[in-house]
Formats: sequence, C-alpha cells, structure tokens
Amino acid sequence: MQQPSTQAATRPRLDVERLELPNGLVVLLSENHATPSVAFKAVVAAGSRYETDEQAGLASLVGEMIDEGTTTRNAQQIAETVEAAGGKLGTYGDYQESGVAAMFLSKDLALGLEIAADLLMNATFPEEKVQQQRDRRLAQLKSRLDVPRTLASDIFNDIVFRGTPQHRPAVGLDATVRNLTRDDMVSFYRRFYAPNNTTLVIVGDIDKATARAQVEAAFGAWPRATDLLIPDVPKAALQREAIERYVAAPKEQVNILIGHVGVERCNPDYYALLVLDTILGSSPGFTSRIPRILRDEMGLAYTTYSNITASAGVDPGRFIAYIGTSPDNLTLALDGLRKEIARIVNEPVLRDEVEMAADYLTGSFVFHFQKNLQIADFLADAETYALAFDYLERYPQWIRAVTVEDVSRVARAYIAPDRLTTVVVGPLAESH
Amino acid sequence: MTSLITPAEHIAATVEAESFLTRGVQKTVLPNGLTVLTKELHDKPVVATILWYRVGSRNEELGQTGKSHFLEHMLFKGTEKYGKGAIDLLTLKNGGSNNAFTWLDFTAYYFTFASDRWQTALEIEADRMRNTLFAEAEFESEKQVVEEELRIGLDGPWEVLENEVWATAFRQHPYHWPTVGWLDDLESATGADMKAYYDKWYHPRNATLVIVGDFNANETLARVESLFGEIPAGPSAQPLRINEPPQRGEKRVVVKKETPVERLLIGFHAPPVAHPDAYTMQVIEAILSTGRSSRLYQRLVERDQSVTSAGANFHDHIDPSLFYFKAELKPGFALKAVEQAIYDEIERLKTEPVAEAELEKARRQMESDLVMSHEEPLQQAMLLGQFETIASDERIPAEARGYHYLDSLIARIRAVTAEEIQHVARQYFIADNRTVGYLVDPQKEQASAAA
Repeated sequence: MQQPSTQAATRPRLDVERLELPNGLVVLLSENHATPSVAFKAVVAAGSRYETDEQAGLASLVGEMIDEGTTTRNAQQIAETVEAAGGKLGTYGDYQESGVAAMFLSKDLALGLEIAADLLMNATFPEEKVQQQRDRRLAQLKSRLDVPRTLASDIFNDIVFRGTPQHRPAVGLDATVRNLTRDDMVSFYRRFYAPNNTTLVIVGDIDKATARAQVEAAFGAWPRATDLLIPDVPKAALQREAIERYVAAPKEQVNILIGHVGVERCNPDYYALLVLDTILGSSPGFTSRIPRILRDEMGLAYTTYSNITASAGVDPGRFIAYIGTSPDNLTLALDGLRKEIARIVNEPVLRDEVEMAADYLTGSFVFHFQKNLQIADFLADAETYALAFDYLERYPQWIRAVTVEDVSRVARAYIAPDRLTTVVVGPLAESH
Repeated sequence: MTSLITPAEHIAATVEAESFLTRGVQKTVLPNGLTVLTKELHDKPVVATILWYRVGSRNEELGQTGKSHFLEHMLFKGTEKYGKGAIDLLTLKNGGSNNAFTWLDFTAYYFTFASDRWQTALEIEADRMRNTLFAEAEFESEKQVVEEELRIGLDGPWEVLENEVWATAFRQHPYHWPTVGWLDDLESATGADMKAYYDKWYHPRNATLVIVGDFNANETLARVESLFGEIPAGPSAQPLRINEPPQRGEKRVVVKKETPVERLLIGFHAPPVAHPDAYTMQVIEAILSTGRSSRLYQRLVERDQSVTSAGANFHDHIDPSLFYFKAELKPGFALKAVEQAIYDEIERLKTEPVAEAELEKARRQMESDLVMSHEEPLQQAMLLGQFETIASDERIPAEARGYHYLDSLIARIRAVTAEEIQHVARQYFIADNRTVGYLVDPQKEQASAAA
C-alpha cells in the first residue's frame, strides 16, 4: 500500500484579489488559465429565509424572474444575447442566497457581466411573465413530489424545522405561490438586491486588471441601498422527543429519512463533524459505516448515507441518514440506521477510522478546486462565512488535529439518538 | 439577433475548441491489444484514470439482460490481492474518488487521485481486469443492491416511459432493453453466468485505458506496460451484427403509472456515431433544445405554456439509436396537443431553412460547451475514452475514428448547412419512423372517461 501524505505540491493554491466598489459591491477575482473560459457568480445575500410563511416561494420566484425582462431587454433578447455568444447564464433564489451564475468563453466576459448587472439592477417583472412563471411553478410543485425522496425530505423538514422558514420548501407551496403578486416580487427585489448585499466572484481565464475595469463599468452605477434592513431569522431548536411519520405512496421503494436539526457552518466543531461524517456515512465508495454495513454487507439498498456538515449554512442545517429500500426490508433498514447512529454516540470510534478520515479529507481537498464555478462557489462561501485567507493552509491542520475523543464529544453534542425524527414514504403495510 | 464576428476571430475560436480536447493526446497500443491514451495537463495536481471496456447491454442476450451492469458492481467485490472493500479503502486513504458506469455500448471504471499518489489506480485496474472473484455470497447480496437500483429507476419520473418507448422502437436490436436489465433476468442470474461473461469481455484487446492529468507520459507508459503487458490479449470479440429492420409505420404505447403530471416521449430511429447525418442531428438538437432561446422552449414553455419542461435529445451510439423528444405537461393540457406542437416544430425544420444567425448560435453553443463542460481531467478522459470505444468501426473515416472523432467534430458541425438540416429532418422525422409514448395516471384517466 502506498503511504498517503499531504505534500505541499498537491495543496490547492488560489491567487485571489478582493476589492470593494464604492457602492459596497464586494468583488473577488481569481485567475485560472486552464481553459479559455470564465465562470462568475453574483451572490445576493437574501433567500427564502427572509420570507414569511404566507409568502413561501417568493425569493425563489424573484430569482427565477430577474431574467424575464429588464428596462432595456425582454426575456427573449436576454436569452438570445447570452446564447449567441455560446454562454450559459442561470438565475436563482434559494434558502440562503439568490443571484446569477454564468459561464462564458473568456473573450465574452464583459458581455456576460453587462447582462448580469442588467438583471440585478433593472429587472421589471412584467405582469404576463409573472403569471406565466407562477403557473409553471405550480405545475413544477406537483412534478417534484413525483420523486419520493423529495416528498420524504419535505415532510422531514416540516417537522424538524417547525417554527423557522426552513420548515417549507424554498420553491414554495401551492397555496402560497398562487397568491404571490408582482408587487410582492418587486418589493423583495428592491429591498434585497443591492450592491452592498452582494458578492461578485469571477474565476477563470481573465486578466485581473481588465476584469476589474469591466466590473466597474458594469456595476459601478448600481446605487447602494441606504436603508438595507436584514430581518432576524429564528433558529431551529432540537426536538424534545422522537417523532415518527409514515406516508403512503404508490412506489416500488420505501424512502426513509432519520435525523434532526444540525449545525451552522461557523460552528467551531465543523471540522470534527467532517471527520464524523466521513466515518459514519459520507466517504468514497462504501467505506463509511452506514453504506458499508447496510449496502455492502446487508445488500439493503443502492443508496444510503448520512451527513450533518453538508447542509450547514448561515442557519443550522440537518443531521440526516437516508436509505431507499424494498418495503420488505423496512424494519431491517430502520434498525440498521438507528443502530449506527446510536453506536457513534455511545462508543468511541477507532483511531484508524479517524486517521483514514483525515487522510481522505486532506487528500481530496484539492478536488474542490478543479472547475471555475466550483472555485467561485468556494470563494463566495469564504466571503459568507469569513473563512480567513489562510484557509487553504489551515484546513489540513484543523482536520489533522481531530482526535478520537473529539469525534465522541461532537457526536454526543450534536446527535441525539433518542430525539430523532423518522419519515417513511412509500408502499406501507396496514400496521402503519 | 445577429452578431457580427470577423473571420479572424471565427478561426481562432474554432482552433481553440478543437485542439483543447485532443491537444497532446498520445495513443499507444500494447502488443496484447490494450489501447492507451495519455494526455499531460499540469495546471492542477490531479490525475484521472479511466478504463473502458467495449461491452454494454448491447452485447447481452434476451433472458440474461443486465449482466454488463451487474458485472460492473462485481468488480468492486474483490480479487485475491485486493479483498472485498480494499479498493474503496485505498481510495479513501489516498483522498481520491472512484466509480464506474455502464451504458448501451460500454462499461467504464475511473479513479481520480492527487498526482503524488495516483498510480494506485493502475495497480488496481491491472489486477481486476482478470482476477475478480465471484464469491457466491457476495454475488447474492450484490444482486439485492442491483435490484434496488432498478427500483429507484422505476420510482423516477421518466424511466418507465423511456423503457417502454425503446422496447417498442427496437424489436430485434439489443437497445430493446434497458442497461440495468429486466427484473426477472436479474433475479435468475448466477455467479457462473457472470464469470463467463467477464471471461468473454474483460481483456486488453477489448479495453482502452485513458490517463489525463499531472503525470509524465513516458514514465507512465513504461509502468502501464509492466502492469498490463503480461495479461493475455484475450479472445477476439465477434463483431455484433444485429440490425434493427426499418420501421414500417408509427408505433404508439401508453404507460399507466400514478403520477401528478403526464409525460410524453417521441423517438425517431436515428443514425449511429460519426454517420454524416449524425452531425446534422446534433445541430438540430441544439437548435431545438439548447437554452431558453431554443425553438422548443420558445414554442412550448413561452408561447403555448403547455409544459414545465421540454427537450430534444440525441446521443452518439455504436449502432443506430433514437433521436427523442421529451415533454412534461402542465396540468390541464392535453398530450395530443403537445405532441402536435412538436410535430409543427419538426415541420418547420423541414420546410423553412434555418437562418444563418440561428445556425451560428447553435454552432457556438456546441463549441463553447465542449470547452466549458470539460474543465476537469476526468471529464476530458471520459470524452476521449468514450469515442475511442464507440467510434472504432472501420466504416468511420480514419480522421474521425476513435478519439480523432473529437478532432473533426467542430469542423463537421461547422460544415452543417441549412439545406442538410432540412434534408435530414425530412428523411428521419417522419411518422412511419417514430414511436410515441404517453405516461398517464390511471385514476385521472378513469375520472375523465367517466366525465
């Protein structure tokens, strides 16, 4: 066997320039000349976490509507301009953030930035497009529940995040989307889409000085919001007891989710929890406990995993274990997941497991920095979570510092085997 | 919208996209027939390795469908040297990733590792090419896993309808069955079947090894030679000569499955990889379906507002396959009407020449996608290996055969004319050549029949 190592040669290196325009727009630039293309993201720090229950789906619709027309271009002109250059541009509104993500050949960066700025500054939300997108969204809401795992996930979130905006899907609900108006959208857009609430990240085959000038030309005139008021968002608390929910659906498999509220990305134990995730349910192939035992040894499933760090954000995410299996295996699968969750809390993990998890996490770190858009995502996160500039150096040290005792400590602190929510969706026997 | 570009810019962009994928590729064939493609890329400290076998569900027989894919699962179950779980454990310790995939024409296994430790991948692949064990206990437990994978597909929104349409369109050719196989065939499969299938197809002569990334090609070729060179070439595979006879009239199929939204799939028999008309088909796919300015989006999402999504799909395969249209309907709209709207768009392709600006847009989208979707060494290795595997037939001109397909691709796409698009649409997109599938909800159907 080869001896794993973390040589400096295989550490990712990023050369990043950070600047702030007078209007407050934070700009991060990084050169990567591997291919003649460039990716950029404009991340607006607003999402469905700022909606009320009655407005569920608003941020997401606003995100989808900003390329449906601006003061100078209609929807078709926007699409034609991007696509005639061979570019790709998408707009979005998620739980935590909204904005534009795009890829262009590097020679077309100025064009891409100009269009992105237009969408962020001048979207008009034409009434007929509002109606069209709302209708389409209502149909999509039906369609997405045709995927049993999505249905299970919605039910799970509704229980675990009760009392917070996370309890409902960011795409909204039939009853709320129906009532969303153009005025709602315009007011959300005017309130949150502001340069001093946005980070622009550009990564790829660029010259930083040229890109800087192009950014200033495209975004310089965006007026700073002087009255930017960020709402308070209630945080989910850990449930007090175990909750079980069985939902019948005419499917081949039962989809099972077990878990509860998780942690924030800024939690200092995040790195110990990454090690825990790698040991319990998230690692390549079937090396971690849940896939190794439930899939590779017991043959119960094609897909089974667990994680707590994957959903950690500005707000606490969720600790979740998943399996999709035949209805005959329901009891075996439930018992198997619960047993592994309890075991990692009640028994120390092996030193070998911690070492291998650290080898994996440090050795695979470089793969998070292969594509322009991936690097842009990382840099946007680095800004959101104030990861320091020496993060790339520090990450392997933080991972290597995690001990067997740390894993036990964070397991006890953040996983509560007697207070889990269990959701089962699929063909159910009468007893449920 | 017209965008003016100068001829110089035009040429520069073309050359860039073309050379980007194949620049620096070195092809070596070992005496035992193993094809090796290497491409050094030193901008990132990673290496992707992918081993392709020219065997997929296309090579299976009725009653034993799904074997290629099942075999892929068994290649992770261990050899004498790497016991069960050892391949994944090595991947974990070395901070890498691994996986595999099987489709109609091929099976492929890949690893990505940091460049100071990537050669583990070569050692594993050289070993499991011939030394995989087929322990009965492992086989039975993995059979359950594969069956669960099949059920995930059945619970998904599209797979049931896709399976029916392909099974209806192809009655003789093995594209008739899905790669995962039919459930009954999986259940009756034995470890001995699997071993025999492995012995038939897993040999150097039937394999292509692709390595892309931060490594030294000459040193690596010596290493490949020492690891794989001793493996016997293996039997020469008999070429598969099953031709689907021409379809003589429209076929229609209705699939009933509880679903909140109805779906439509229309497949037309279409040419194989590197066929002159296949390049035209790719351009048609882009015109119809790439981006929000595409014709199907403009017609069905924007104008008719009858669907949540719609698209056209064409993939390169060894044998003639299907060019297919998909649409997911909004409630309240009729399958028949959406089907007709798609035929209207097809009619337009036949009767009106595509304007130069629209054609140019499609070309640019295809060119830039080749660049933007292949930033990673692994993505490049996948593309090179795929065409080396599927475009090997001697009917294909040498300059477009194997991975050289990618050399000529941009030029071929650039050469497609508005007249050729009309010609190809008229030849292939006709009623007698199509299979139409509807996915409907049995309860809603009853309700509307009663009403």
